[in-house]
Amino acid sequence: MPAPEKTPGWLERRLPVMSVLRREYIAFPMPRNLNALWSFGAFLMVTMAIMIASGLFLAINYTPDITQAFASVEAIDRQIPSGWFLRSLHMGGVTMLFACLYIHIARSLWYGSYKAPRELLWLTGLGMMLMVMVTAFAGYVLPWGQMSYWGATVVLNAAHTIPLIGKPVSELLLGGETLGNTALHRLFVLHFTMAFAILAVIALHVIALHVVKPNNPSGIDPVSPKQTLPFHPYYTSRDGFALCLFLMVYAGLVFFLPDLLTLADNYVQANPLVTPRDIRPEWYFAPFYAILRAVPSRLGGLLLAVGSLAVLFALPSLDRSPTRPATRRPLVRLSLPLAFLSFILLGVAGMHPPTETWLIVSRMAMAWWFIHFLVVMPLVSEREITS
Amino acid sequence: MTQSETPPPEGGTKRRDLLTTATVTLGCAGACALAVPFLNSLKNPAATTLSDKTIEVDLSSLAPGQDMTVQWQDWPIFIQRRTPQMLAALQTPAHIATLRDANSKMLQQPKDATNWHRSVRPDYGVLVGICTHLGCVPSFEKPGSAPEAAGGYFCPCHGSNFDAAGRVAERAPAPYNLPVPPVTFLSDTKIRIGHSAGDPGFSMSDIQQI
Amino acid sequence: MSRLIRNFVLAASLAPLLAALPACASTPAQRGLIVFQHVCAACHGMEHVDYGDMAAFGLSPDAIHNWAADQQLPNGTDDNGDPKTRPATPTDPILSPYPNEAVGRLANHGLLPPDLSRLAMTLPGGAEQIRRILLSYAPTPAGVKLDDGRYYNTALKWKHIGMPPPLQDGMLTYPDGTKSTTQQMATDVSAFLNDVAHPHVAERRRIGVYVLAYLVLMAVLTFVLQRRIWKSRP
Repeated sequence: MPAPEKTPGWLERRLPVMSVLRREYIAFPMPRNLNALWSFGAFLMVTMAIMIASGLFLAINYTPDITQAFASVEAIDRQIPSGWFLRSLHMGGVTMLFACLYIHIARSLWYGSYKAPRELLWLTGLGMMLMVMVTAFAGYVLPWGQMSYWGATVVLNAAHTIPLIGKPVSELLLGGETLGNTALHRLFVLHFTMAFAILAVIALHVIALHVVKPNNPSGIDPVSPKQTLPFHPYYTSRDGFALCLFLMVYAGLVFFLPDLLTLADNYVQANPLVTPRDIRPEWYFAPFYAILRAVPSRLGGLLLAVGSLAVLFALPSLDRSPTRPATRRPLVRLSLPLAFLSFILLGVAGMHPPTETWLIVSRMAMAWWFIHFLVVMPLVSEREITS
Repeated sequence: MTQSETPPPEGGTKRRDLLTTATVTLGCAGACALAVPFLNSLKNPAATTLSDKTIEVDLSSLAPGQDMTVQWQDWPIFIQRRTPQMLAALQTPAHIATLRDANSKMLQQPKDATNWHRSVRPDYGVLVGICTHLGCVPSFEKPGSAPEAAGGYFCPCHGSNFDAAGRVAERAPAPYNLPVPPVTFLSDTKIRIGHSAGDPGFSMSDIQQI
Repeated sequence: MSRLIRNFVLAASLAPLLAALPACASTPAQRGLIVFQHVCAACHGMEHVDYGDMAAFGLSPDAIHNWAADQQLPNGTDDNGDPKTRPATPTDPILSPYPNEAVGRLANHGLLPPDLSRLAMTLPGGAEQIRRILLSYAPTPAGVKLDDGRYYNTALKWKHIGMPPPLQDGMLTYPDGTKSTTQQMATDVSAFLNDVAHPHVAERRRIGVYVLAYLVLMAVLTFVLQRRIWKSRP
């Protein structure tokens, strides 16, 4: 492979992009044994690119004003040429983005990708997830439908319960106590800005990945060049194939099931005088909504919902075991799938009306989520026998 | 296609053969096709043809020497009622000598306004108020206040000056006379802008330049 | 050369036939548009739908223009400050016939006829429920007392509705000769409202098939490529 060194070209002497690209994306040594779950990072990159492109073209036709926002979105769906496609791409993209994000994180949990030396990779990733959540929340308010309005109102009132700072800060951010024109305009700017801020953090995330090199299913970093394969053509071709399958699912959502995950009530213009009968969040926020509802105290619910994410940030210090993959840790292999199941159950519970059964399910699932991260992981890492 | 004729080297990691070429080409074609709806969305869905829009303007309140501005197809339309002094000034040979296109040879007006006063009736002038240089709106210099007694139009952007009939001065940066819209007199004090009875086939899209 | 000319003449003679096709090939949704124009539009609007959007239902540009021109829209005030109107154009929305909500309520016993832009999507039960409501009017049974402006209808939970029975057999003639029974019109208009609530649905599916076909082809190509590359790894 190594070609005889020639004198570097004009561009190379000034800005070595070509050699960096060759080093990081063609010759970059990858573990030989990565499985399909390692393709989800590539899916996330592609989805993010589609989201930003479609978002820019939607923003051209969108009006951030409470009297015109709903109509401008309707016009995108009906009258703007190809507008329906761009909007479906953007709406379907949210689902694909969160689905990939959750799978990507689950993969990191399962194979211990958050452990040294990849702590910063893990933290930048989680930070990005929070940013995506804020962006998605702001973006969902923009069509100014009933669900936009009431979903945001509920979140806003939950934020008001934070002692001392909750109310003043949210009023300062949204320009008033209730949602109005000022809030809509600011959320539009927030949505727009965050998208590009996420791009910057993606860059950090990828740089960190290329410094510490990818983890792999065995959890043992390759030591000799014989245990690696160059990124191109092995992983480019494999990611290319995986991407085709991923895009098929995405296209299915955009072209054949555009209403599968949207709530019909959001096609009714926001009305501050009428709360829709069946108010529920989009599926990707459902687990956190379930926690919010499962706790009798408003502040407690908010703290636990935030806490359910905070434990992930603390994970590198909670789990001190040097063994990475759950497959080689018998207790984690039992406990972690239960935590995944808890997350899914919380999501299902969040999409259902808060009946007694669903409240009990949410509370048990929530309990296990915290037990796994706060009790099982520290204890197991103290005294586990790894296989 | 030349690559497909050579047998792929065994075990090479850089094989460029028909399969690779086809996959990469098709992939790029797909990416380009994805750009089509994005560009398509930039088209204005409300773009309507300009042809069938007319407005009617009542001129009864316009006194000799006064002017007014109305809007037609998003353009400012200057309407002036000319005094005999203005009409006389338009015809002085000394003035005509300073003009670039005194006889309106360029197609900037309907046939019924291709005359020395560039209007259907000499006492009323109707002009599209957009400088033919770079599209600014000239302002009307009232007769007497301008250096030329005839009145005229002066463009604030680059100093183009036009006479009261919209004819551009030879030394101005603007290349053409101000366009004249199609006008029909419905009565002595009422006009319709957008249709010309004297030149029914005239369309604003045919003129040299707005 | 002569064959070229013959083909051209053939194509030219077929063109008007093909252009006229959408008007005669009446789908339920296209017939439903006629029901909307003649029946629903008396009380309901579709404020997010333009007259021009009706081209999707096979309405010719002239027919759209004429339909729009029959409707008057408010157009500011005249020199005396009195309200002016102008005829609608194809880029104007299909507004409710009532100038505002209060007038709409006044004319309908205090109930505002809902906007139909997205009704088939937001009404629980969707287009099928619209059809059911249209077909479920019945004489008020003995012993049931309804308020003024309320009509007995078994499709609803409370068994009454504010909309008087809108459809009667033979109240309009379909240009394609279909008999306008109540059943037929209810089916047609619910199909129409379903398409209005899901704009571009036919185009969406048609393009989707091409996109999926392309992705399947790409998946096969990349799969084969990937297999071959990985087979030859050192």
